[in-house]
Amino acid sequence: MNELLLIARIGGRRIGLRATQVNSVIELDKLTPIPRAPSYILGLTPLRSSALTVVDCALALELGQPTRPAEQVAQAIVVEHEGHSYALLVDEVEDVAEAHSDVTEVSGEAGAGWKRAAQGMVETAIGPVLLLDAAAIIIGPLAEAA
Amino acid sequence: MDELLAEFIAETREMLEASQAEIVSWEQEPGDRARLDAIFRFVHTVKGNCGFFDLPRLAKLSHAAESALAEVRAGRRSADSRLVTAVLAVIDRIVAMVDAIEAGEDFPEGGDELLMNALEPGQDDGGESAALHAQAASERKTGSKSDGPRSIRLPVELLDRVMSGVSDMVLARNELARRMREYGVEPTIDGPFERLSAVLDDVRDGITRMRMQRIEHLFNAFPRLVRDLSAELGKQVLIDMEGGEVEIDREMIEVIRDPLTHIIRNALDHGIESPAQRIAAGKREIGLLNIAARQAGNHIIIAVSDDGRGIDGQRLVEKAIASGIATAEECAGMSEDERYALVFEPGLSTAREVTAISGRGVGMDVVRANIERVGGTISVSCTAGQGTRILLSLPLTLSIIPSLTVECGGERYAIPRSYVEEIVHARAGTTELVQVGDAWLATIRGERLRCIALADVLAVDGSTAMERAALVLIRLAGGDLFAMAVDRVLDHEELVIKPLAPRVMATGIYAGTTLLDDGSPVLMLDMAGIARSQKLLSDVQRRVRRTAQQNDDAREEAEAVPMLLFTALDGQRRAVRMDVVRRIDKVAREAISLAGHGARVVIDEALLSLAGVTGGSLPDGRVTLLRLADGRGEMAYAVREILDTASMTSGIMPADAAGEIEGVTLIDGKAVEVIDCHWIFASEAHAPRQLAPATCRLPDDDPWTRSILRPLVESAGYRILGDSDKGEPDVVIVSEGSEAPTGAATLIRMVGDPAAASATGDIYRYDRSALMAALSAARARRIA
Repeated sequence: MNELLLIARIGGRRIGLRATQVNSVIELDKLTPIPRAPSYILGLTPLRSSALTVVDCALALELGQPTRPAEQVAQAIVVEHEGHSYALLVDEVEDVAEAHSDVTEVSGEAGAGWKRAAQGMVETAIGPVLLLDAAAIIIGPLAEAA
Repeated sequence: MDELLAEFIAETREMLEASQAEIVSWEQEPGDRARLDAIFRFVHTVKGNCGFFDLPRLAKLSHAAESALAEVRAGRRSADSRLVTAVLAVIDRIVAMVDAIEAGEDFPEGGDELLMNALEPGQDDGGESAALHAQAASERKTGSKSDGPRSIRLPVELLDRVMSGVSDMVLARNELARRMREYGVEPTIDGPFERLSAVLDDVRDGITRMRMQRIEHLFNAFPRLVRDLSAELGKQVLIDMEGGEVEIDREMIEVIRDPLTHIIRNALDHGIESPAQRIAAGKREIGLLNIAARQAGNHIIIAVSDDGRGIDGQRLVEKAIASGIATAEECAGMSEDERYALVFEPGLSTAREVTAISGRGVGMDVVRANIERVGGTISVSCTAGQGTRILLSLPLTLSIIPSLTVECGGERYAIPRSYVEEIVHARAGTTELVQVGDAWLATIRGERLRCIALADVLAVDGSTAMERAALVLIRLAGGDLFAMAVDRVLDHEELVIKPLAPRVMATGIYAGTTLLDDGSPVLMLDMAGIARSQKLLSDVQRRVRRTAQQNDDAREEAEAVPMLLFTALDGQRRAVRMDVVRRIDKVAREAISLAGHGARVVIDEALLSLAGVTGGSLPDGRVTLLRLADGRGEMAYAVREILDTASMTSGIMPADAAGEIEGVTLIDGKAVEVIDCHWIFASEAHAPRQLAPATCRLPDDDPWTRSILRPLVESAGYRILGDSDKGEPDVVIVSEGSEAPTGAATLIRMVGDPAAASATGDIYRYDRSALMAALSAARARRIA
């Protein structure tokens, strides 16, 4: 309860990430591609003295379409997972909001990618958001894991 | 000063500072057990450390204090004020001595006996030792503090923070420099900026090296360890260490200290035999322990080898079965190396008895777990009766890797410089590129190498055609060499490589990433991984297999063997193992001689046996030859056409009789005859005979001879002897009417009248084919 969430949009849908999981939000500038990497991994981008692995959230969640940034400058959420830093590319980062309810089950219809990453629905001041687990996004589509 | 000694001094000081309070309160409360323990630990550690250095006085003093305190701890003696005073006096003396060592001064002789006597029970010289105590204390206060190198201990996280801070500063500086160039600034800014820049580079250099330590640091403790252990075990062991200059992360040194110590203990205890056993086995009575470190790409390889009895594989298997680690069937199917690897299973040891040295409940399984925890690997190989070798491979994730940056498809990549043998340009005269099927072969100064394009490996569009690419020659750890084509070679840089996200590492192409000076990330290529994915490793692995498991033919045959497919002169599709093909040549028909004892060909003035010519006729014009080499001899094999490269994965069905054909295999579903190189070499080859070119003396130097006859004879491979050359020519050509000189092996007379030529057996001066035939026949006679 009263946990802070970072609210963003992925594939047009409003999602939330626990603020404790988020390091910062950056604007994507340079991108160094990684040939032969899974397609949802767009490349590397520098953040101060380290390189972040850039993940396209829409592709990671198997939404079919790559992420289309809402603004001129693409925004990405920086998270750390198992000692590595990632930049999660989203449509846009909207706000930070307080969770007003417990996490509840999502009702049916969500795609495989959503199901894998979603922890449930949470009420906030700006409406219900789908709470995602950053770690599950980073792992990417399982089909490519082989 | 010795770095180790400096560390000893620093450690002693630090411990003393930490126990200062304990000492004071112990003085007030001698019965306090916790305080007593703290002081005991201090003298005990000092004593232990002294053992590494030649400091007998310090060792004696600390030993005396330790013994006295041990008595108190055991309850055999009470800590009266006299003992406390004596111990404190000893501690003060230790500090004074340490100060003297640091300052490089000699500590005044004498006084030690007095202190040690004071420690003995029942001695009543309390007053004296108290006086000594006071004296030592005043020495300490007035004694000049040394100006020698001092050291402090820092948490590694702090180092990391400072390091990344400095890296950020460098990037910001570079950005600033770029903007200054773009927009231009007041010239007065330039000077200070340059200075700032230079200072920053210095700081960065210092910081990056702060984390690194020479592995010597770890190695230096081993001779002592080996000496003590061998004395304890009644063995004689000589330790030999290499690669102490290899730099390794400080943290990594701590991680591998215990595993390495354990491995050495094992080697001495179980591996190396007693002198008597060694002599009985026909070895030198002194055992040899070799510890070598080396940097290989992004790994540090540490090998510990001994020349002891090796691991008893049979016993290991029995134990594994007995303790249920593996079943008898599983063990039966294991290769030798796999059997030895059982050593790393928990609860297994071949030692018949648990000894004090290695039987301490810490097994090789713990060693392996520790090494694997930091991302390293450990393997063991062994020859029964000859010795054991344990190989540790440790990642270098935080170390500085000298790298070569290259460009491919518009992006930059880094290659660890340790892999790079040489850089050549495809368009350089010494380099020759041939495409065989889909594969490229590069011939560089006579050495044939397989060539891969980085653009293909990465599946990107390279901007440069293979013929104009830069070739980076890569030498793998196994010794194999191959060429990798890149668009451009950029620069040498020292890079701090950081690991990549697991999903990126899973591609097997990259070893890590780093930021270049301009702040853009660059990927470090994993050359071993690339070689594996491009199947460039097959022959290395095969060679290893062959030595490891000679009796396991089935396995070996299942492996892909690279082959070269061609059409033989008789029209048959045949294949030859790629390994033996040294290069592909084209020679003129005239260079081949079929006469005499067997077919021969002259290439580059060397005479080679020629195979593949039976059952088919040589084509006119130029003939394609495979030059085969078995390491000693060399020979040629004539073919009609090179088809492709392929992998032979199925076995060979042997031919009925021994001969040129080893048997038939299936390649891409078609039956192909495989050349039996062994048979060919056995029957034909000898080392290429270097020929002095055949010589010829020409008729009087008239214009016709000079401009028409001479080039023709030279093109047939003859050297023309001038008037000044001594020696008998192989062939003498004379013109009509000249006297025939004596001694020439072959005489050819050129005549101007075609009719007269046919009548006398002479050659008409424009009958080119007759002249060539005569020259060729003369050479064939000479060879035979």
